[in-house]
Amino acid sequence: MTDFNVALEVVLLLGVSFAPLAAGLALRRKFSPAAQEGAEPAVPTGAQKMGRLAGNFLFWGGILGILFMIVAGINMLGWI
Amino acid sequence: MKALRPAIIFLSLALAGGYVSALEPVPWNHKEYSSEFKYFQERAAFTADTWTALGPEAQEKELLEAGQPALDRQEAVRAYYAAALKKWDSPALRDYLANTKETDIKAVHLWLGKEKAAAFSRKLALTHALLKKARAEGLDDEDALALEPHLRPEAIAGLRSLKASAEALKAQTSEKALKGPDSKSTASLDKFAGPDPSKLGADSFSKLYDNMNVSGADPVAAGRGRYGAGAAGSGAAVQFTAPQKKAAFAMPEVRAVPAALPAAQAKSAALTSDAYGITVYSAGGQQPQTFRKGGDAAAAIRKMPDGSITKIIFYGHGAPGTQMVGDFDVDAGGAGEMLKGKLARGGVVQFSGCNTSSIGGATLNPAVGLSMVARRLLYFSLPYFQDRADGVPAEQARQQWDKTWNADLARDTSLNLRGAVVCGYRTFGLVPGRLPGVTRLLGNQEATTPGFVAGKKACYQDGKEVPAQ
Repeated sequence: MTDFNVALEVVLLLGVSFAPLAAGLALRRKFSPAAQEGAEPAVPTGAQKMGRLAGNFLFWGGILGILFMIVAGINMLGWI
Repeated sequence: MKALRPAIIFLSLALAGGYVSALEPVPWNHKEYSSEFKYFQERAAFTADTWTALGPEAQEKELLEAGQPALDRQEAVRAYYAAALKKWDSPALRDYLANTKETDIKAVHLWLGKEKAAAFSRKLALTHALLKKARAEGLDDEDALALEPHLRPEAIAGLRSLKASAEALKAQTSEKALKGPDSKSTASLDKFAGPDPSKLGADSFSKLYDNMNVSGADPVAAGRGRYGAGAAGSGAAVQFTAPQKKAAFAMPEVRAVPAALPAAQAKSAALTSDAYGITVYSAGGQQPQTFRKGGDAAAAIRKMPDGSITKIIFYGHGAPGTQMVGDFDVDAGGAGEMLKGKLARGGVVQFSGCNTSSIGGATLNPAVGLSMVARRLLYFSLPYFQDRADGVPAEQARQQWDKTWNADLARDTSLNLRGAVVCGYRTFGLVPGRLPGVTRLLGNQEATTPGFVAGKKACYQDGKEVPAQ
C-alpha cells in the first residue's frame, strides 16, 4: 500500500509540470482561428485573443517548468 | 421594579459621568509614572505641550498602554548596562568599541541616570584611548592597572601584545630581514658588484620555481594575506599579515593562488563549472580569505581569534541537511563545531547551496512550487524506490526519507550557533555562472563565491526566522 501511495504521489508530482503544458495546448487549439479551406481566417474576438494568450502562457510556462525539473535533476547529479 | 428602571439608568449614567469628570490631568513627567514618561521621551511620542493638550481620558489610556512596554524597556536597559559594566573579554571589547552608539549612552542616561551614563562613557573612553595607545606604542604597567577594573586579564594581555605583534611584523619586512643572515659566510655576498639582482632576469629564476614573474623589486602578486603566528602566548597571537615583499633569488614562500590573481589572468577556458569554496570575512575590514579545501578553511578558522568572523559563505552543491564544498561536507553539527565562538555578534553564516533550508509554507510563486515538487521527487520518491529495490521494508523507507527530505540545515545550524544569523535556500538555487557556456564566457571555473543566485533565501537566528540578509 505504501508503495502504491508513493507511486501515485510521483505521478501527481510529475503531472504538476505537465498539466499547464496540456492545458495550454488545449487552450491554444480551442482559440486558434478556424480557417476553412479557401476562406480568409475570421478576425479573432477579444475573448479569443485572451484565450490564446492564456494558452501561450500555460504552454510555455509548462515547458519552462519541465526544463527546470531537468536542470534540478542534473544539478542533483552534480553535473552543473 | 419597572418604575425603578429609569432611576437605575440615570444613576448609572451619573456615576459614569462622575468618573469621567473625576479624572484629573496627569502632569508631564509625573513621578508616579516615571517609567511611562521615559518611554514616551525615548520614542519622542509626546512633548510636555502635546501631553498637556491630551484630555485626561486620553492621557490615562496612553499611560495604561505604555505601562508594560516601559517596564520591559527599563529592564532591557538595566541588563545592557550590567553587561556593559562587567569585565570584557577580547571579543566583547571589540564589539563594544565598534558598535556602541551615542544613542546607547543616551538610553542609559535616560533610564538609569546621569552617574551610570557617565561611568559607561568613562569606560568606553578609557578602553578606546588605551586600545589606540596599545597599537601605537604599547601599554605599560600603569595602563594595564587602569584597565584592570574593566577588562579580563586575557583581554589586557591581548592589548599588551599588540605592539609586540606589530614589531614582529615590522621586523619581518625590515631591510635587514630581507637581506639575509648577517654572518661571515654571507658577508661576501654583500659585496656583489653587479647591477641590481632584480635586473638580472631574476624573474626567470623565480619562474623556474613557481611559474611567477616576480622579482625583488616588486611585491609578490599573491594578492591576499595569510595567517601567521605573532608573539607567542598572546591573546592576539594570530593575526592577518599583508602580502610580503620577496627578495630576489629567494625561494618563494607564497604560491600565487588563481583566485587572487588579477581577473584577466584568473580566467579559465573550461566549459563546465567546478566552482565551490569557503569565503571568510573577518572584523576590521580585512580582505576576505577564500579556500577551496574545507580542511584548510577549518584549520585557518581554528587559528582565528574568537568573535572575529563577521560572515562566512559555504558555496557548493547542497542537499536537505547538508552543504557540500567540493569533497568537504558540512552539516549542522559540523558547522556548529567549526564556528563555535568564532563568529562576531550578529555574524552571518551563508549556505550557498540548493535546499539548505526547508521548503517553508505554501506559496503562489510557481517557480518555488516547482522547486518543492522537484525536491520531493529527488529527495523522497527517488531514494524511497532505491531503498525498496535494495529490499528495505516500505514503512521503514518511507519514515526514513520523510524525515530527511525537508531537513533545514540553516535552522538547525542556527540552534548550534546562538546569536548568529544562518541563511540557506528553500529552493534549488540557480547560479547563472555555473551554466556551461556562461562558465567559459566568464572564465570562472573555480569561483569560490556564487555571485547571483536565483533562489528563495531564508535566514534564522536561534531557530527563529529573521529577515534575509
